[in-house]
Amino acid sequence: MSEPVKTSVPFEPILTKYINEPNAHTIEHFLARGGYEVARAHVGVTDPATLVGIVKDSGLRGRGGAGFPTGMKWGFLAKGTGKPAYLAVNGDESEPGTHKDRHILEKDPHQLLEGVILTCWAIQSNHAFIYLRGEFILGYERLEAAVRAAKGKGFIGKGIFGTAFDLKVTVVRGAGAYICGEETGMLSSIEGGRGYPKIKPPFPAISGLFKCPTIVNNVETIANVTHIIKNGADWHKQWGTEKSPGYKIFCLSGAVKKPGVYEVPLGIRMADFIEQYGGGLVEGRAMKAVIPGGLSAPLLTPEMVENCTLDYESLASLGSMLGSGGITVLHDGVDMMSAIYNTMRFYHHESCGQCTPCREGTGWLEKLAHKHHSGHAAEGDADLLADVAKNMRGRTICVLADAAAMPMQSYLQHFRADFDARAHEPAHAARHRTARDEITPAAKRDSVLHGAPGVADVGMGNRE
Amino acid sequence: MTANTAPRTLSPERLRQFHDWVDEYPNKRSMLMMVLRLVEEEFGSITDEGMVIAADLCGVNVAHVQGMVTFYTHFKRPTHGKHRFMVCATLMCALDGNTDSALAQIQAKLGLKPGETSADGLFSCEKVECLADCDKPPVVQKDSEHFCSMKGPVLDAYIDSLLAKEGKASTDYLGKAVVATDLRVSVLPSHYNFPGETETGARHFDDKDAYLAPVAQGQAPRTTTVPPALKTPLTAPVAGTSFSNNSEDAHV
Ligand SMILES: Cc1cc2nc3c(=O)[nH]c(=O)nc-3n(C[C@H](O)[C@H](O)[C@H](O)COP(=O)(O)O)c2cc1C
Ligand code: SF4
Repeated sequence: MSEPVKTSVPFEPILTKYINEPNAHTIEHFLARGGYEVARAHVGVTDPATLVGIVKDSGLRGRGGAGFPTGMKWGFLAKGTGKPAYLAVNGDESEPGTHKDRHILEKDPHQLLEGVILTCWAIQSNHAFIYLRGEFILGYERLEAAVRAAKGKGFIGKGIFGTAFDLKVTVVRGAGAYICGEETGMLSSIEGGRGYPKIKPPFPAISGLFKCPTIVNNVETIANVTHIIKNGADWHKQWGTEKSPGYKIFCLSGAVKKPGVYEVPLGIRMADFIEQYGGGLVEGRAMKAVIPGGLSAPLLTPEMVENCTLDYESLASLGSMLGSGGITVLHDGVDMMSAIYNTMRFYHHESCGQCTPCREGTGWLEKLAHKHHSGHAAEGDADLLADVAKNMRGRTICVLADAAAMPMQSYLQHFRADFDARAHEPAHAARHRTARDEITPAAKRDSVLHGAPGVADVGMGNRE
Repeated sequence: MTANTAPRTLSPERLRQFHDWVDEYPNKRSMLMMVLRLVEEEFGSITDEGMVIAADLCGVNVAHVQGMVTFYTHFKRPTHGKHRFMVCATLMCALDGNTDSALAQIQAKLGLKPGETSADGLFSCEKVECLADCDKPPVVQKDSEHFCSMKGPVLDAYIDSLLAKEGKASTDYLGKAVVATDLRVSVLPSHYNFPGETETGARHFDDKDAYLAPVAQGQAPRTTTVPPALKTPLTAPVAGTSFSNNSEDAHV
């Protein structure tokens, strides 16, 4: 947290530099700004291990959520297995509050493809899959067109850039499942199944797609690769902190004057970021809390925001996470019980249902959050919530269960009074009542169809 | 036996697309996500017939395809409206009543609450989870069209334009009966059942004793043989005239 931040180094957006230019998604535009030159210079020429070494030295960390060092992950790829190796690019962008990969896919897809080509050469894979969430329709069209254009130029396909290296790039569309953002869930989906995560180990780098060694990386991570290989590891490390070097795209939403996508060096103060880039809070509102890294990240209170810098370590030290970089500001008028009910509904809806603690736990969290939201909670219900949340963590195939439990725990930690204020009913009166009893018949039907109970009152998308 | 007028297979262009993909994917099953999209385009939604076609093309059981279609919420189903409204209801959109206002406007124009389809099948409305454009709430998708900050006059005008395109008016919908969007899949026709399995899926254990009998020493372990019905190419019923639950008329 107290690491020195290299704020003195001037920074211009790198990944998002061209996203506001009208034709930035075309190959002509990309070639005119020197596109595919880095790939041409290295594919078939540079020793792959050298490229992995550069990425390792640069300290680049995964931008999909976990922040795992990318070069190190590439180093884990099983070699000499006699099986093909795959690259699977995660463009599911399903973490609520995150809307950065969308801009790369829609407005600068060739930037991603050049990163894919370089990564495939570095890890010696001849086949990359790019998985896009089904709702990205423009993104799919643009990326498909980009792949076709790159094929036409001989940058993808047999013997790319006139070398002996073959590369296939396959774009797969998802169809509306948050869990397909989880890396092994995504692999299950690419394999033609429901997006069920797989137990780890074995990690995908050993046994992933079609039981072959696979590297999974986020779109933004892969887009970074070209710039790092072009400019070197030290160039990347001139920004950010010791342990979180470089820059990142942050997505700002909620109660700020200028919500949007901003690319900034890591390690700047969160309060400054919200003030300088987001223009501060909307008129007449004060900050109540901030969700710093997508919906799964534990909340920060305004005091914590003051002490927070935008890097992996600072957020971890505050008990939260940088996650995918989706920052949402909640203003003082937000009803926290409504917010937590909405949040829990999301996880209950999106749990794939393989693990009992997650399938049942998310349901319990949702029901109990609903009871607090509707003012029918009993005295011990907040403790029960804490208990359920605690018992969901670390006991499941993937970390969706943790991702649901963590925000609940942080709401309980910082807004316990709000929970207690809604616990109107003495324990004995509420004992015979279940959350379902309060659900209107119409909502009941809705819950059968969508797995999500609703309530009759207004606020926060909970309206029926 | 009802005459079925819907196309029985994919159009030549879509089949060509399928064949192009064969080269791209390591196995047929992994093409399923994309083949379902072809089916969706071809039939306008993923119909029972479309699921059989997808199963056949990808070499999987129809039950697996049904499992896929009910797992993934973005696939369009026949019970969705021709115009399918998907309103993001996740926190970032829901803040400050943005989701609610979009839903209220849809209800005010079309009389639809989330999870409902108009009786004429033209419109449906549903709440969906995060659509990844959180800085411009509320986010709404109408089939493959994506809209940000979709509220107020913009949303009203858009719904009006759809109504006009269909030659309808708000009054055709307000206060009229609606149907719940039923996303369940139909029971598989009996020619996909294991022998002894009924339409409702229960299995008669006529041969229960054989199952329970201990395997004698030195005897080969029991194996379950695949019933011949499942070995039948799944195109067979599609090539016929109907997709009926009556095994006699649908299958030879
Ligand atoms: C429930 C869940 C959802 C996730 N959603 C995404 C996502 O939408 N996009 C993404 O890139 N990573 C997502 N991740 C993280 C991936 O599992 C994985 O860590 C990441 O794609 C690895 O790439 P990176 O190392 O480049 O970050 C998710 C993880 C979990 C547990
Ligand atoms: S933790 Fe939840 S989402 Fe993850 S595999 Fe288990 S049930 Fe599925």
